[in-house]
Amino acid sequence: MLLLALKMTWARKGRLVLTSLAIILGTGFLSGTFVFRDTINQTFDRLFSDVFRDVDAYVRSTSFIELNFGGEQRAGTPISALETVRNVEGVVSATGDIQAFARVIGKDGKPLGSEGNGPPTFGGVASSESAGLWSVVEGRLPNGSRELMLDQATAVKGGFVIGDNVRVVAARGPREFTLVGVASYGDISSPGGATFALFDQQTASEFLLEPGFVDAFLVEGDDSVSDEILAERIDAALADNLKLETLTGAEITAEVQGQIKDVLNIFSTFLIIFSYIALGIGSFVIYNVFSITAAQRQRENALLRAIGASRRQVSRSLLVEGALMGILGSLLGFAVGIGLSQVLNALLKATGFEVPTAGLAVKSGSFVNTLVAGISVTVLAAWLPARRAGRVPPLAALRDTALDTAGNLRRRVVIGLALVAVGFAGLVAAINDAPIQVLGLGVLGVFAGILVIGPAIARPIALTLGRPVAALRGVSGMMARQNSARNPKRTSRTAAPVLLGVALVTAFTALAVSIRSEIRDTFGAAFSGDFALTVDSQGFGGIPLSVTDQIGSLAGVEQATGVGFTTVRIIDPNDTPADPTATARGNFVQTINPATIGGLFDLGVTEGDLSALGRDGLIVENKRAAERGWKVGTKLQLVRIDGAVIDARIRGLMSGDTSFANFVASREMFADAPTPIFDSFVYIKAKEGAPLDEVRSRIAAISSDAGIGALQSKEEFIDDQAAQINQVLGLIYGLLGLSIIIAIVGIVITLLLSVFERRREIGLLRAVGMTRAQVRSTVRWESVITSLFGAVTGVALGIVMGFVVVAALADQGDIAFQLPVTGTIWIVVISFVLGVVAAIYPAWRATKVNVVEAISTT
Amino acid sequence: MTKLPVTEIPSRSTSAARATSATKIYGTGDSEVRALDGIDVAFERGKFTAIMGPSGSGKSTLMHCVAGLDSLTSGAVYIGDTDLSKLNDKALTQLRRDKVGFVFQAFNLIPTLTAYENIVLPLTLGKQKGDQAWIDLVIDTINLRDRLEHRPSELSGGQQQRVAIARALASRPEIIFADEPTGNLDSKTGTEVLQFMRRAVSDLGQTIVMVTHEATAASYADRIVFLADGKVAGEMFSPTAQKVLDYLKNLGD
Repeated sequence: MLLLALKMTWARKGRLVLTSLAIILGTGFLSGTFVFRDTINQTFDRLFSDVFRDVDAYVRSTSFIELNFGGEQRAGTPISALETVRNVEGVVSATGDIQAFARVIGKDGKPLGSEGNGPPTFGGVASSESAGLWSVVEGRLPNGSRELMLDQATAVKGGFVIGDNVRVVAARGPREFTLVGVASYGDISSPGGATFALFDQQTASEFLLEPGFVDAFLVEGDDSVSDEILAERIDAALADNLKLETLTGAEITAEVQGQIKDVLNIFSTFLIIFSYIALGIGSFVIYNVFSITAAQRQRENALLRAIGASRRQVSRSLLVEGALMGILGSLLGFAVGIGLSQVLNALLKATGFEVPTAGLAVKSGSFVNTLVAGISVTVLAAWLPARRAGRVPPLAALRDTALDTAGNLRRRVVIGLALVAVGFAGLVAAINDAPIQVLGLGVLGVFAGILVIGPAIARPIALTLGRPVAALRGVSGMMARQNSARNPKRTSRTAAPVLLGVALVTAFTALAVSIRSEIRDTFGAAFSGDFALTVDSQGFGGIPLSVTDQIGSLAGVEQATGVGFTTVRIIDPNDTPADPTATARGNFVQTINPATIGGLFDLGVTEGDLSALGRDGLIVENKRAAERGWKVGTKLQLVRIDGAVIDARIRGLMSGDTSFANFVASREMFADAPTPIFDSFVYIKAKEGAPLDEVRSRIAAISSDAGIGALQSKEEFIDDQAAQINQVLGLIYGLLGLSIIIAIVGIVITLLLSVFERRREIGLLRAVGMTRAQVRSTVRWESVITSLFGAVTGVALGIVMGFVVVAALADQGDIAFQLPVTGTIWIVVISFVLGVVAAIYPAWRATKVNVVEAISTT
Repeated sequence: MTKLPVTEIPSRSTSAARATSATKIYGTGDSEVRALDGIDVAFERGKFTAIMGPSGSGKSTLMHCVAGLDSLTSGAVYIGDTDLSKLNDKALTQLRRDKVGFVFQAFNLIPTLTAYENIVLPLTLGKQKGDQAWIDLVIDTINLRDRLEHRPSELSGGQQQRVAIARALASRPEIIFADEPTGNLDSKTGTEVLQFMRRAVSDLGQTIVMVTHEATAASYADRIVFLADGKVAGEMFSPTAQKVLDYLKNLGD
């Protein structure tokens, strides 16, 4: 029987390829992201081993804070200790290293490197010591407070040549330097598309950090002792109270490689999750194809049963076929994925994020993962159709056409509705603080329910949607309408990827639109100024505080206040263990200037007072405070990045609706810290009666002199804040795009199978006078109706889901449900186009049906 | 062995369709099969002609080629005065729709359309209204008025074939081709269908060409054309079932 199954599979090579297409698609995405991730990781591994080639030891501060979003921030290292290191026996050279915020201003006055989510902009040290990471490509090293060197990529991008004046903004505000050299990082012009402005050690320390400090020392040994012994000697030479530690070259290389991997892994994990979702949606296509082919082969299976094959044997032969397709499809998918990884790479390059990729990393793990995922999904998808095939009565061998019954419709609706109800209950529970898994299960329940109901509603909905088509497109439209309704199971399964994608997008769009209008309302109420200067780089660099103060003293400006962000560690002394070094996990803190914020921006303080904030006060978000049992007056310990411990006290509670972090502190708290803080927003109010245009251009003059920040009116600023939610929507639209690709493939396959199944009918129609154009039109409109069925049910489901989520959220804060009208229109238009596009090839195939052969088949 | 005389090919005006030196070759070299080997035949207007012959004699191929479903390797086919070899696919499709009617052995109707929709399908495809009085006459003649809104799956085999014949008649075509129309029916239903075809010719003045291998079916025709090995082997006018059986027996000797 196994041999027979293999033979029967081989006899249907065409269909084999068709089914495999769905598997190839799903596994291709998966292996593509695997290979892409491995390739990037491998390249960065090589890059950093190369860059740290000459670094035998690395000295840095022991005081650091882990940032919320990955990475860490470490305290500075005093330059005074550099001499000590240089005098250690076996040390050839030692130099300071800095990697801090600095933004190069282009010749057009605009900063180089994109605002926001682009690669970071750094300032650093270029040193004559051989342990420096940079090598001069052109010109010479900078020397003194008026000279700088740029990385090669930035110099090319900004059109700078040696001798040019270059403006740079860093912690100490904007300054102008003369370009004296161009450098490369290892053998690449710029790592990851970041920009680098390099100075001599003293200038870098004073301009980028705090005078007298660098981030770390890079040490080169004379190779008389091992790196481990060298590091021990340096450690021994450094005084304990400096709080410094020494790593070997291998250790720091591994650490940097690990850090970059962590960052990249966030990105690739996201891609991999997407790929698994793609494979999941693709499994519907696989399931559908198996169902259709099993139905079409009913006669053959019935014949096998009639001549004595057991149910089990028939089922098993289908499963064997499924496994074979799984293997074939996954193998091809893996190959396709390797190509896809190159496409991903090119896409990233096109968006300006230059990832150096050298060679391809095809690892056996990716291969095994792809194969296992592909084969299991395929066999699972083949399971039900295979079982159904086994149950075929031997008598069916005498029947004519493929039967596709929708089963007991009422039972379907009842079971489906029950699943949907359970799903919605899960959704609501998740919003009311049930664990996140409940949300996933809820969504799963809703979708499963809808898919069970699908065949029951496919016929009436397809007929309704087809009514205008039939009215407008004559006989082709009429046939298309009937065809889309004749196999309700097939139609609903084919439309499933569209339905899933559209429902998710509609639900999220509804949620986003509602949140957006909510943000607009809250910010509109909280911000009573006229302008806002914003920089889109929370947490790393931004507007120097001196610029904020300068704006505040402008003529025509009534008041200007800055808001920034930093990370500290907050310790509740009542917690056990109370040891401040127990965890390095940091807390995101919003810094404000309490002297100027009043009357300009309302932080929504519900208890206590901003004026009481002082140097050591904190304002905590209500919910967080309630969770931890904190009140106004509670004493907390606050550890800064430089390790300084501040005894802080809660001075107030706030709603959190208009703050960007759960904690607010005065900027005074960080006035003496060696790592400077920046403002991310400056809110500005003009003097009563002052001409707004004039005031605006005065502020603009300062911000463009500083080369940083976007100046917005109140309206623009509020729009901008509301648009933040669009980034989340972007991801969701990516998901829609993915499900569209899969949906197209699914519709194409289903239509091809339908055309094959109906070739006699098509032959008959051609014989009695249907033109090729009419045949094409019939297939096209069937495709459009199927796609629209998915879109319409998806939109309906999405709106209900969005409504439930918003309603549940409204219990907590008040947000009102908003219908995503434009989004919905777009979805319908896209589904229409999708239907037309998917039908192109099957329609062409339908016109190629040989009339004589088709009608002679008996 | 009695060989029947072959009549003169009727002039253009009296033939609804004709083929001259019609040759159809499948495959090449050793596997070459001459399905039609230079056939000259004409089908008279207003007559019921049957084509008979053993399987492989080329009777279906002849019908497919004359009806414009398949193309000849050489030779010519005319429907009325139109040379089919001069037509492209679109014109050929239009010709089939407007000038030709079809009845096949099985699978004659589109399962998603009602009986009435199936009957007027060629008209609908051509965006024509048709002659409603004629359509009513056809429907009354097949006696299926009460089943017009039914789907093919709700009709018996005989009813389905009658609907198929009504469809073939609906556009009042130049000629109707029927390929074993009773092949799938029991003899009682088959008789009904044949009687109806006979009436379409005698009472309604239609032209029908029917491929069959049943002597009884062929006996309803005005004339029988016998094919063998892709050639016309003989013909018979005003046949009876007995005459046909005798002829076939002789042919086999």
